[in-house]
Amino acid sequence: MLFSYNWLQSFFDKKLPKPEKLAEVLTSHSFETKVLKEVGLPSGGKDIVLDIDVLPNRAHDCFSHLGIAREISVVCNIPLKIQPQQKLAIEKRKAEEFLKLDVQESDFCRRYIAGIMLGIKVGPSPSWMQERLIVLGQKPINNIVDSANYVMFELGQPLHAFDMDKLNPAKIVVRRAKEGEQIITLDNKEYKLDKSMLVIADSSDPIAIAGIKGGKKKEIDAKTKNIIIESANFEPINIRKTSQKLGLRTGASVGFENEISPALAADAIERVMALISETAGGKIVSEKIDFYPKKFKPSRISFGFKDIASLLGVKIPEKKALSILNRLRLEPKKEKGEITVMCPSERMDLARKEDVIEEIARIYGYDKIPAEIPEGVLMPVRRNDNYFYGNVIRDILVGAGFSEVYNYSFAKIGQIEIENPIAMDKKYLRMDLWNGLRMNAAQNLKYFDEIKIFEIGKIFRKAHERIIEKNKLAGVVVYKDNKKNTDVFFEIKGVIDALLSGLGISDFWFDNSPEPPINRVEIKIGNDGIGFIMSPNTFEIDLEELIRLATEEIEYRPVSKYPAMIRDIAVLVPPSTKVINVLDVIENTAGKLLIDTDLFDIYKGDELGANRKNLAFHLIFQSSEKTLSDKEVNVLIDKIIKAIEGNSDWEVRK
Amino acid sequence: MDIFQSIRKDAFGALEEASDFETVHKIEAEYIGKSGRLTKILKSLKEMSLAERKEMGSTANALKKEIEEKIKLKKEEFGERGGSNHRDADWIDITAPGKKISRGHIHPISRVLKEVTSIFESMGFEVVEGPEVETEHYNFDALNIPKEHPARDLWDTFWIKPLKNGLLLRTHTSPNQIRYMEKHQPPLRIIVPGQVFRYEASDSSHGIQFYQLEGLMVDKTTSVANFKALIEQFFKKLFKENIQMRIRPGYFPFVEPGFEVDIKDRSDKWLEVIGAGMIHPQILKNVKLDPSQWQGFAFGMGLDRITMMKYKIDDIRLFHSGDLRFIRQF
Repeated sequence: MLFSYNWLQSFFDKKLPKPEKLAEVLTSHSFETKVLKEVGLPSGGKDIVLDIDVLPNRAHDCFSHLGIAREISVVCNIPLKIQPQQKLAIEKRKAEEFLKLDVQESDFCRRYIAGIMLGIKVGPSPSWMQERLIVLGQKPINNIVDSANYVMFELGQPLHAFDMDKLNPAKIVVRRAKEGEQIITLDNKEYKLDKSMLVIADSSDPIAIAGIKGGKKKEIDAKTKNIIIESANFEPINIRKTSQKLGLRTGASVGFENEISPALAADAIERVMALISETAGGKIVSEKIDFYPKKFKPSRISFGFKDIASLLGVKIPEKKALSILNRLRLEPKKEKGEITVMCPSERMDLARKEDVIEEIARIYGYDKIPAEIPEGVLMPVRRNDNYFYGNVIRDILVGAGFSEVYNYSFAKIGQIEIENPIAMDKKYLRMDLWNGLRMNAAQNLKYFDEIKIFEIGKIFRKAHERIIEKNKLAGVVVYKDNKKNTDVFFEIKGVIDALLSGLGISDFWFDNSPEPPINRVEIKIGNDGIGFIMSPNTFEIDLEELIRLATEEIEYRPVSKYPAMIRDIAVLVPPSTKVINVLDVIENTAGKLLIDTDLFDIYKGDELGANRKNLAFHLIFQSSEKTLSDKEVNVLIDKIIKAIEGNSDWEVRK
Repeated sequence: MDIFQSIRKDAFGALEEASDFETVHKIEAEYIGKSGRLTKILKSLKEMSLAERKEMGSTANALKKEIEEKIKLKKEEFGERGGSNHRDADWIDITAPGKKISRGHIHPISRVLKEVTSIFESMGFEVVEGPEVETEHYNFDALNIPKEHPARDLWDTFWIKPLKNGLLLRTHTSPNQIRYMEKHQPPLRIIVPGQVFRYEASDSSHGIQFYQLEGLMVDKTTSVANFKALIEQFFKKLFKENIQMRIRPGYFPFVEPGFEVDIKDRSDKWLEVIGAGMIHPQILKNVKLDPSQWQGFAFGMGLDRITMMKYKIDDIRLFHSGDLRFIRQF
């Protein structure tokens, strides 16, 4: 919110610190404050505009120059000036003689003061008033409207003035709007109201949307002589809802939304009448109408000095704490180590002892609170597996040449739809990672010949009407040179090998997917799928499943003292035969002396005939008890050959 | 022939004095290299008469051979790189660039997160996770942010269809304070890293999706002074230099007192990186902890901002760009 430095200065006799210094002090103790700009004034001279980011819990009292002046008084320890009493022209009568007030909704309207002024003269407001409004970006209108605006910026109470002579009979009703009722506001816009909304009405029609904006019909014009001034207090939630429904946010609605103390209405009407009397003449009808069924009671809060020390971790001297509370006008009373404070009506944010301790802390200064290492036994931290293995996986993939990207959780298609998407291609939550990665790859091919990227992130799907959120890992490999892309499937497979073995998972295999699309290859452990390769160049793995299976302890087998024997064997099989099937036969036949089998070549060639491919394996035999003889190994090899050739389509090349 | 004698004298003199391979190599170039003194004479022979050429030629060639012999001897003397043939085969130009081994790059935020996490783990904080699709209850209501309260305006929210289910994309990691405290008894020390979402126009310093890290500590006497010590330690370790920090008043409905932590960046500007405060007594009651027994602090830090500061990154949107020209710098 914007504030005028000159205006703030007017609350003090003593000179305020320079704007920059003031901003610094306010930032440290109250609200973040920036010196926005210097403004030249029509009358000569200049003013400085401060942008003060009033915290939401202080909007009750600090959306006003007086509120900020009070803060300055506390943090700079400068007393506020006592404002001189003005002599006013009074008409000793009762407002009730002129006006009838009927508040039908006391839950929504907590207070309604109507004041009346007679014989005023509408004209331009004085230049000192205009200047203050202009500095804050407001347009001066006339002395009545400007005075009301002025008081809103000064005290934070929204006010409204009606032309009393346009009300016939002179009656004000505070009621809910009728369904479909319409109003044309001061700025000539038409609004259709509903029955959840509160209006100020005359005997028949709405003349203002309560607490938000006045209507055109009863507005002050050049001929206006007698006026009704409204200083009211409206319930915040209803104001907020109405303002949102109508798409109409005004200074008044923002004020009421943040809740204003009902006590303020009385001060504000006195002030505005004095200002109007000064700028537009006329007489003030001495007795106002004041509808105020539930009087506001200031809260009383008690706590001990030990509470301050316990929460803040520093012993602030009692005298210091009491002096701060006094400056805040909290009227502290000390009794046996207990303090009791009375909160001024405008400090609606103070409700419990922690709120008051915060006041002491911020005025004392957070910079003065010493840093103190917490006490207590340090327990060993339990490892978070998701997080831990996420990092292991990152390391493995980065070592394999992959770079990590982050994509948005949004996608063009998906199962979970966003109510308020920010863009057309972000209407859903993503249901996989690999599609995003393929887009990244395409983009990056403009700049690089070789793309290897991965992402770890969440995907979102629906199952039984519930949203399922899953951690996934996906990767893609693409080369600009298309020749290199032909082998990419095996590269992906190799990466998965490296990844899973790196995580200590050894018994995985690849299976054609039972479901379409045809190019999908399942990655399985036992019978469970943990992910898939979208042939040729993309993979996606369920991270939670992977982590569940990952075992950090790699089982150690003692290194054999006896030499290993390696034999090669080549098998001719039909092209559709899977390596795994041949491997199964070999491993199931050989027994435990066969400690490892490596496929080292797959070959298709004309000389083999169209319907055959050659699989070449290294078979490694070793015993932990003795040196194996050729003879022993030959027996095993013969057994394996026999078993392989048990399948009539397979042939061992000799 | 004066000229040959002088070359011979100079060359042999220099070679006698040479004490290392490099010097010998230089001498070789100076006399019999491409533009060496002797080579120049040999080159000029073709402009001479046949007789001159014959006489000068044989002397020059003899001298060249003599110098070559001497150089070879000298080179052998200086050991491992000696011998001309030998040298060509084994000599390594150690200044040539190394062969490129392709290694990938970790995302800068993952990198910073890893560092941040290990600092907090060293101070006894456990890493905990929570869902990205959150309920209105955990994201707002349980954190003292009731519906229709203007404080909700602080968090622009992506809602999930249909609205009546009250599901949203979490706007902060704070729901996990509630989720964790509901299930665990103090003393508690946790951090919760994760992606959060804000429905707002993005620019170089605001993203619709970014990384936050929530922290929570609850014990008998946990105080503002403790928070200050912890955060000071954290910044010292993360930035490995003394970073200027300030704490100023802030407001979040789920803490009281509430404050903001700013750090000074390299251009001397204060940068807001942490929102924090002492856990509001109502929040403790909400999770059935007795505020007269337990107290603690909570904080939320923007990892994107910290990463930007650490690596001088000027646009927050780069993190989600998938652009390898950016990622490959880390």
